[in-house]
Amino acid sequence: MILGLIVILAVLLLVLGFEMFLVLALPALAYKGAFYPNIPDLVVVQKILGGVDHTTLLAIPFFVFAANLMGSGQIARQLVSVVKALLGHTRGGMGHVVVGGSMAFGSVSGSAPATVAAMARMAYPELRRSGYSDRFSLGLIVSSAETALLIPPSITMIIYGWMTGTSIARLFAGGLAVGLVLGLAFALYVNFVARRDGIARAERADWPTRLRTIWAAKWAIGMPVIILGGIYSGTFTATEAAAISVVYAILVEVVILRSLTLRGLFEVTEQSAINTCIIFVLLAMGGLVSYFVTLAQVPGAIIGFLDAMDAGWIGFLLVVNVCFLIAGMFIDPNSALLILVPPLYPVAAALGIDPVHFGLIVTLNIGLGMITPPFGLDIFVASSTLRKPVATIIAGVWPFLAVNLIVLLLITYVPQISLFIPRLIFG
Amino acid sequence: MPALTLLRLCERSILVVIFLTMVALYFVSVLARELGGQVASSFAWIEEAVRMLNLFLVFLGLGLALERGRHVGIRNLRDRLPETLRRGLLKVTDVVGLGFALYIAWLGWGLASFVLGTGQRSPTLGIAMGYVYLAPVAGFLLLALRYGLSLFGVIDRFSDAEGAE
Amino acid sequence: QEFVAKIGHLESAAQNRHIHLEKVAALVSERTGGAVEFQLFPQAQLGDQRQMNEGVQFGSLEGTVAPAAFLGGFNPVVSILDIPYLLPEDEAAAQALREGPFGQALLDSFADKGMHAIALWPNGRKHITSNRPIDELGDFANQKFRVMDSRVLIEQFTALDASAIAIPFGELYTALQTGVVDGQENPLDTIETMKYFEVQNNLLVSGHGAMEDVVIFSPIWWNTLPEEYQAVIQDAFIEVIPELVANKQAAVDRALEAVTAAGMNVRETTPEERAAFREATFAATSAAYVSLAGEPGQALLDIYTAEYEALAQ
Ligand code: NA
Ligand code: NA
Repeated sequence: MILGLIVILAVLLLVLGFEMFLVLALPALAYKGAFYPNIPDLVVVQKILGGVDHTTLLAIPFFVFAANLMGSGQIARQLVSVVKALLGHTRGGMGHVVVGGSMAFGSVSGSAPATVAAMARMAYPELRRSGYSDRFSLGLIVSSAETALLIPPSITMIIYGWMTGTSIARLFAGGLAVGLVLGLAFALYVNFVARRDGIARAERADWPTRLRTIWAAKWAIGMPVIILGGIYSGTFTATEAAAISVVYAILVEVVILRSLTLRGLFEVTEQSAINTCIIFVLLAMGGLVSYFVTLAQVPGAIIGFLDAMDAGWIGFLLVVNVCFLIAGMFIDPNSALLILVPPLYPVAAALGIDPVHFGLIVTLNIGLGMITPPFGLDIFVASSTLRKPVATIIAGVWPFLAVNLIVLLLITYVPQISLFIPRLIFG
Repeated sequence: MPALTLLRLCERSILVVIFLTMVALYFVSVLARELGGQVASSFAWIEEAVRMLNLFLVFLGLGLALERGRHVGIRNLRDRLPETLRRGLLKVTDVVGLGFALYIAWLGWGLASFVLGTGQRSPTLGIAMGYVYLAPVAGFLLLALRYGLSLFGVIDRFSDAEGAE
Repeated sequence: QEFVAKIGHLESAAQNRHIHLEKVAALVSERTGGAVEFQLFPQAQLGDQRQMNEGVQFGSLEGTVAPAAFLGGFNPVVSILDIPYLLPEDEAAAQALREGPFGQALLDSFADKGMHAIALWPNGRKHITSNRPIDELGDFANQKFRVMDSRVLIEQFTALDASAIAIPFGELYTALQTGVVDGQENPLDTIETMKYFEVQNNLLVSGHGAMEDVVIFSPIWWNTLPEEYQAVIQDAFIEVIPELVANKQAAVDRALEAVTAAGMNVRETTPEERAAFREATFAATSAAYVSLAGEPGQALLDIYTAEYEALAQ
C-alpha cells in the first residue's frame, strides 16, 4: 500500500518534468521514512556522497572535458575529416564511423558515459550533415557506446571477476567477441537505415586528397596515438589517460593551432564542469536508491522465486536478463551489478553455466541498462553534452534497444560466441 | 543584482580552477612515475587529492546547472500543459526542490560536523574528512539558492532549458 | 528477535571472512535463544569500507569486520599493523600477541573513536608479486609497486629503494598487465581470486605484511545489549579464530597450488632474507607510524616491543 503510493509519487515526479535527481531522491526519502525510520538520517547524505566517490568514475569528467575541448576546437573536425576521406564513400559512411569510433574509444576508456560524451561532440554534427535523422543520430551515438564495456579493458568485467573469482583475462577475451558481435549488429542496422532513408554516399576521395587530409590533421591524429600508445605501453592507466588527453587537447587547441583562446578555454572548462555535475548528481542519487534496494533484500526474493520455478539454465538465464533489465531501468547499472551478481552467481554455477559466459551476459546487461529509459545514464550524458531533450533521445534509442535485445538473446543462448576466443587462447 | 553576478563569477572561477588543478595533478603524477624512484613515491597522495577535488567539482556546479536549466528531466508533458497550469507546476517544482536542497544541505552539515568530531582523516594526505564532506553542503545550498530565486521570480531557469532550440 | 545487527564487509560470500561470520551468527543466535540476529551484507553492498566505518560510528550499521588497512584514517594507532613483519612468524606467538596486552591496547584505542572493537581476526599475510624476479633484497630497487592508501606502506617501499604508486584496486589488474606498475603486495588468496598471476611472472612468498581484520560494533547498538549477550557475541568471535586460521591456511595452500600450476615462478624467502627485510624497513616504517599516530602510537609501539622481545626469548 505505502509502497504503491511511493511508486505513484515516482511516476508523477517523472512525467511532470521534475529534475531527474528529484525523481530518484524523493521516493527514496519517502521509502526510508516509511520503512527504515530508525536508521539515522545522516545515512542519506552519506550514500549521496558514496554514489559519486569512486575512483572508477573519475574517467568521466576528464573524457567529458577532453571531448568538449576537441569539439570546440579543431581536433574533432579534423579527425572526422580523415575518417570521411577514407570511408565516406561506403554505404552508411558516418554511421559506421560512429560504431567503429565508439569501439576504438571503448578500447581506451572502458566507460560508456565517457564514450558517449566524446562521440557526441565529434560525430553528431557530421551525422546530421550526412543526412541521418536527429533521432537516429542520437540513438546511434548513445547505443554504440555500450561496446566500451565489452571491448577490453572493462572495469565492469574486473568488478565481476573480483566478485566471482572468474579469470579477468578470459572475460576480456570473451568480451572482445561479444563487443564485435554487438558492433556488427549495430553496423547492419546502420546499413539498413542508410539504404531505407537513401543516405547519399560521398564521392570516393583519391589518395593525394586523403594524404593531404591526413597531413593536415596530424596534430589531431596525435590524440588517439597518445592515448592508445600511453595505455598499452604502460605509461598511464585509463583514468590517467583521460586527464592526459585533456592536457594534449589544451596543448593542441590553445598553443599549437590557436583555435581556442584562453577565454575560450575558460568557457569550455566551465561547461565541462557543469556537464560533469549534471551526470554525477544522478549517480549520487543512484547511490541512495541502491542502498535501499540492498536493504530490502530484493535479490533474496528473486532467488526464492527461482527455486520455486525450477526452470533449468534456459529459464534461469531468461529470469536473469529480465531482472537486470528491470533493475537497469531504475537504478545505476553499476549498482545493479553489486546487488544482483552475489545472489545470482551461485545459482548460475550450480546450473553449470560457464562463469565467463555468465559474466558477459551480465556485462551486456549493464551496458543495456545505460540506455534503457527512464533512468539511462548514457541518455542523460548525451542530453547534457548535446543539449537535446531526453525524450528525443529516448525516441531514437528504441530501435537500437530492439537490436540490442536480439544480440542479448544470441549471446545468452549461444554460449560458444562468448567462449570461443577464451578457449582458443587459454585452452 | 550585482551580488548574484559576483556569486556566479566566483562559482565559475572555482569550478574552472578545480578542474584544471585535477588535470594538472594527474599530469604531474604520470610525469613523476616516468622519472621513477623516490620522486614517484612522494606523489602517491595525488590519487586521493584528485578524488577529493572531484567531490567539490560535482557538487559546486549544482546551482549554476539549475539556473541554466541544464539538469535533466523529461519535459514533454509539462511543456504541453496550458500556460497557467504549467506556471503553477513550475512553482511547485521550485518549492519541492528548495525544500529538498535545504534538507540535504542540513543533513550534510550534520554529517560533516559528526565526521569532524570523530577525527577521521584521509589515509594519505591526512586531511580532516569533515572538511571534504562540506562539498555537498555548499553544493546543495547553492542549489537551494537557485530554487529560491526561481520561486520568487528573480531568475528564469526555464527559458534557456535544454531542448528549447 | 529482539536485537538485529546489520553486519557489512568487503569480501565475497564464498570467502573465509563471510563463512566464519555465518558461523558466528549461528552460534550467537543459538546461545541467545534467537534473541540476537546478524544480517550479513558481503561485498561492500552497504557501501565501501569507509562508509561502513562511518555507519558504525553514527549508527546506520551495527557492525563491520574491517581490514586494519582501511581503519588508519579513523584510528591512526591501528596503522601499526602496516609495519612489515610486525607479527612473529610462528602463528601461536602471533595469536599470543593478539590476545595479550598489545591486542587489548589496540582494541581499546578504538573506544574514543566512536567504535567498539571486540576482536582481531587474522586474515593471512601479504606477499609480493612482480614481473622481474626478486632474488635478493636489492632487487626491489627501481621497481614500481602498487600500495594501498597508507603512509606506512609507502615508507616500506621507499626503504627498499622502490617506488610506491597509488593505484585503485579496480584498476590494478590492467595496470599490472600494461606495466604501469611492476608489482604489488597482497595475500595469496587475493592474488589467486584477482587473477594477478595472469599478469605477473614472479611470486615472492615473503609473508611480510599482517592482514588483520578488526571486528567492530557500533557503540550505539552494543550498549543496548544486555551484558550476557555482549559476552556471548565476543566469545563467539574469539572461539572461531582457530578454525578461521585453519581454513585460511587451507585457502592459501590451494591458492599457492593454483598460481604455481598457472606457471608462476614461486620463491620462498629464507629466514635470513626475512630478517634482512625487517631490518631494512622496520626503523623507517615505525618512524612514519609514530609521526602519524603520535603519543598513543608510541605507547602502543612500546607495548609491542616489550612483548615481542619477551616472546622471542
Ligand atoms: Na573498454
Ligand atoms: Na537504464
